[in-house]
Amino acid sequence: MQYLSNSSTAGVLLDLSGAVILLLAFACLASKLFNRYVVYYGAQSVVLAFAAGVSAAAFHSAELWILAALTLAVKGIAIPLAARRILVARLALKRDAAMSTGLSTSLVAGGALTAFAYLVTRPALLPHGSAAAAVVPLSTAVILLGALAMVVRRHTVAQLIGWLIVENGVFLGAITLVATFPFIVEAGIFLDIVAGVLIMIVFVSGLTRQLAQASAAELRELRG
Amino acid sequence: MTALAVIIVLAPLAGPAAALAGVRARPAAFVQAAGAAAALGCSVAMLASLNSGRPLQGWDGFLYVDALSGFFLLTVAGVTLLAALGSVTYIAAQEDSGELTGFQVKLYFTFFGLFAALMLASLEAGNLGLLFVLIEASTLASAALVGLEGRARSLEAAWKYVIISSLGVTIALAGTLFLFYSASALHLGSNLALTWPYLLAHAPALVPQSLRLAFLLAVVGYGTKVGLAPMHTWLPDAHAEAPSPASAMLSAALLNTGMYAIIRFLAIAQARLGSTYPRAVLLSFGFASIVIGALFMVSRRVSSGGLGGRPPRGQSNFKRLFAYSSVEHMGIIAVALGFGGTLGLYGALLQVLNHALAKAVLFLASGDVSLRYKTREAGQVSGLLAAVPVTGGALLLATFAVLGSPPFGVFLSELTIVRAGFARGSPVFPLLLLALLGVAFFAFARTITAMVTGAPPQPAPASPYRDRGAVALTAAPLALGLAALLILGLWIPAGLDTAIMHSAAVIG
Repeated sequence: MQYLSNSSTAGVLLDLSGAVILLLAFACLASKLFNRYVVYYGAQSVVLAFAAGVSAAAFHSAELWILAALTLAVKGIAIPLAARRILVARLALKRDAAMSTGLSTSLVAGGALTAFAYLVTRPALLPHGSAAAAVVPLSTAVILLGALAMVVRRHTVAQLIGWLIVENGVFLGAITLVATFPFIVEAGIFLDIVAGVLIMIVFVSGLTRQLAQASAAELRELRG
Repeated sequence: MTALAVIIVLAPLAGPAAALAGVRARPAAFVQAAGAAAALGCSVAMLASLNSGRPLQGWDGFLYVDALSGFFLLTVAGVTLLAALGSVTYIAAQEDSGELTGFQVKLYFTFFGLFAALMLASLEAGNLGLLFVLIEASTLASAALVGLEGRARSLEAAWKYVIISSLGVTIALAGTLFLFYSASALHLGSNLALTWPYLLAHAPALVPQSLRLAFLLAVVGYGTKVGLAPMHTWLPDAHAEAPSPASAMLSAALLNTGMYAIIRFLAIAQARLGSTYPRAVLLSFGFASIVIGALFMVSRRVSSGGLGGRPPRGQSNFKRLFAYSSVEHMGIIAVALGFGGTLGLYGALLQVLNHALAKAVLFLASGDVSLRYKTREAGQVSGLLAAVPVTGGALLLATFAVLGSPPFGVFLSELTIVRAGFARGSPVFPLLLLALLGVAFFAFARTITAMVTGAPPQPAPASPYRDRGAVALTAAPLALGLAALLILGLWIPAGLDTAIMHSAAVIG
């Protein structure tokens, strides 16, 4: 299997996309508005689609082009739109107040997790100087940040976005190892994500309807 | 052979087909049971041919069935049959009483069959990526079952289940990535290279550091599905809120599917890293699970907290009790894998089968109890033996079976596991295991005996079933499961013995 070196154009672009994706994960972690979560997730997915395109061009892989298009269409456009229309707008979600730590604490924790990701993955990586060696620590950090967002946020919609960020992190890792992932598996992962989002949306809407009183009480409590 | 493998996966889809065609609960459940019986028959045939022949491999490595897969196929197909038989009366009674609408019944059978088919398919997947896809898909299908009743509490349980399990399985995907990473020296290119047999055969070329990380991530990730502590938090809620036959599927089939994935990673990790590191990981997660399971059973705080605050002290939901027992038993299996050696692996696999049978019987019996008494709280149930002798008797027998009393199969497998522990050298771990098993025994038996004995409520709970035939049918899966448990306790058929020995050889 051929490797992209980290000094090739594609390698540099992949590295850059990885960094932007990590920054957007931080942005999501630092935000308090449901609208912003969705926007940051959508932007992250668009960058991810770009990264997949770069990878496709570098490896001359038609399957990867399809994946890039799918990422853009599903994660970059369809899921954010659906989340905004069905969840944020219909459930009238504005400020996310259900957090177990303050924003600054979770940002510091996120920084620590990023450092941890580098510590864990760097020495294990092969071969040095490859694009993968640069991107995999980034993708590990994105996975950890998404998981952190799921831990510190108690609202179901915020947890859903956290899981999607984790998925994006794994996907970022996967496209740097393109040749190893068969297309049918990637397509299956996509299908899982779509089905997962759909089923989660059903649960979130159902829960919110059932708990209308409870959440109203919560909103009153946290005003001001 | 390939045809057999395909039939095993497709047969359980008969139920969804019937439900979507618009038939009512009873006929749909019979079709579902027939499909499950076909799958079980084919998996027995498959196991027989695997015992004498080579593993089945095909479709570019996407299909791979060896003795280990065959053994798990048998377990999952068997549980599916028991649960499908249990659905016949349980779901029909719920439909008759109006607790489930026609739409919900349709949903139930659609997702039940899909869930079973996806689990069976994941056991036949040779490709690690495909394994992830199928296991995640089975999570989603079963989440629909957990949230089926649509009450706030079951929706919350379903949410908790789907979000924690999805995160867990995604972590396992990251582990799979690191396994590929560790294999970069192999120049993996074709689909065939990502399969279990290829990676196992080329294990010496894997990079140890990232393989170590991959194994740990896989244990944490798939361990979430297995219900290993501390990733078990979704398990009691989901098991308590799902319809009882679906709880049986979760506890007896789904957890084992997760364990199967861990065992595959274990085999590869052991081939490269030696046994010390993987066994230490499994022993720590295993003992953590046993301790957590036993402590929760003792403290009786298995009450369904859920929404709206805690119920009064001293009350406990019996389905949650069974769920914590599942956490404990998955811990025992992990510990057995950690003890290793032929004895440990043999015990682990035997325990998988025995636990699955016993837990399926327990959950199906609990379904009958909750239909009759209209409660899931153990404190509100008494006099089962007098009021409903068959279910009460089955509950009592299955309780002693799952707790490891002779002459049932669990006794034999737990004895094997403890012996494997002593054979390993230090007596500390097996003694600790025995002590924890004793604690779990008293905690579990105390609650169940209180339910079974005593005076039945006055007036006696009304039968939820339409006719006497339905009552007899309720007993069928209980009797089947208990008979199988008894047989496994007294005599292990030669074919099964060969299959388990071959599987143990696969793990190494």
